[in-house]
Amino acid sequence: MIKSIEEYLHQLKTELQGSDPATIQDALSDAEEHLRVALANSRENQPEKSDEEALNSIIEQYGSPAETASAYGEVERRTVPQLSRENPKTESVVARFFGVYTDARAWGALLYMLIAFVTGVFYFTWAVTGFSLSVSFAIFIFGLPFALLFFISVRGLALLEGRLVEGLLGIRMPRRPLFTQQNLKWFERLKELAMDRHTWFSILYMLIQFVLGTIYFVLFVTVLSISLSFIAIPVLQELFNLPTIQVGEGVRYFFPTWSYPLLVIGGILLWTIFMNLARGIGQLHGRMAKSLLVTD
Amino acid sequence: MVDSPTLTKKFQKELNAGIASLVLLSVMDNSDEPMYGYQIAKLLDDYSGETSFMKQGALYPVLRQLESSGLLESKVEPSVSGPPRRYYEITAEGKETLVVWQGVWKQMKSFVDKAIKGA
Repeated sequence: MIKSIEEYLHQLKTELQGSDPATIQDALSDAEEHLRVALANSRENQPEKSDEEALNSIIEQYGSPAETASAYGEVERRTVPQLSRENPKTESVVARFFGVYTDARAWGALLYMLIAFVTGVFYFTWAVTGFSLSVSFAIFIFGLPFALLFFISVRGLALLEGRLVEGLLGIRMPRRPLFTQQNLKWFERLKELAMDRHTWFSILYMLIQFVLGTIYFVLFVTVLSISLSFIAIPVLQELFNLPTIQVGEGVRYFFPTWSYPLLVIGGILLWTIFMNLARGIGQLHGRMAKSLLVTD
Repeated sequence: MVDSPTLTKKFQKELNAGIASLVLLSVMDNSDEPMYGYQIAKLLDDYSGETSFMKQGALYPVLRQLESSGLLESKVEPSVSGPPRRYYEITAEGKETLVVWQGVWKQMKSFVDKAIKGA
């Protein structure tokens, strides 16, 4: 006999153990919404029923924690995040090395490395400003509500970042906000958020993202421009008569014609290596995001 | 001895797996405004009458799946009483897909009917 919605959610969480943390978060949030709405409805339409009775007939229709868990498990098995589908394994190392161009995860990771710069700066600013204002406002009457707003915004940004990570890096992340108890007073909500590891991990992620985002961006731009310059040397030297190295007016250094193919091949190789590297970085970053942004 | 209730339950579950998507997409197509999970579950209860075909809890993962394939879209809105609700709405892509699916269902239905009747 399940006595409260919290108890149902707790059992559902136990049943879902071993599933993807993101799926668990989604399932809990769906169940919480449904049970609360249904219970509120029943209170209104059948006030003579006790909450416990009402809840049990609602669960009878919704499904036991075990049934609900298996429904999520089944759908989850059928839907894999789009980018995480493995490329068919090719035998040779060379084919796998150049196969990176057809791998959506590599392109997604490149795009992510660019975006991470912008989001990183924003997250960092938000986290530092929010945190320091929360601390210094604490002596005022509006200090604590301000801190609550800040914590809630951190949760929201964590969810948003999760969507980016899943879309671009193909790592399964939560699609629903984390469930929270609805009947809490705002001060209890603040306490709950402040005591939750998840909030602080999200803030930590927002700080780290600034450093990582900058590194990713610099790597991306540097490697892209070096590769492109190598590839462009023949064109610049032959068509535009631009030297590769020029010192003052006198010294103009041109690469010899025989080296053109080597330079172009070098540029292409460099970029291909970087694409492979980016795919790896993306996967690592996704794993880090998952361990910091998703509660277990 | 054949464990008939268990087999029937399993059969029902396998049938539901495909049909749930068609049913949910149709419900969303027939509705003029976005609906949230509990509303959809209630509506389906009215349709199914006495017999319940699937647990309401099994609807939600299907809704999420339809959303992640771009056939539905959703937004969370706070409600006056109770927790915020996730409202689902059919997308243009969803409408197109539904037309195809309904065609598939019609063919499937007449095929199965013929097979059962043996005519």
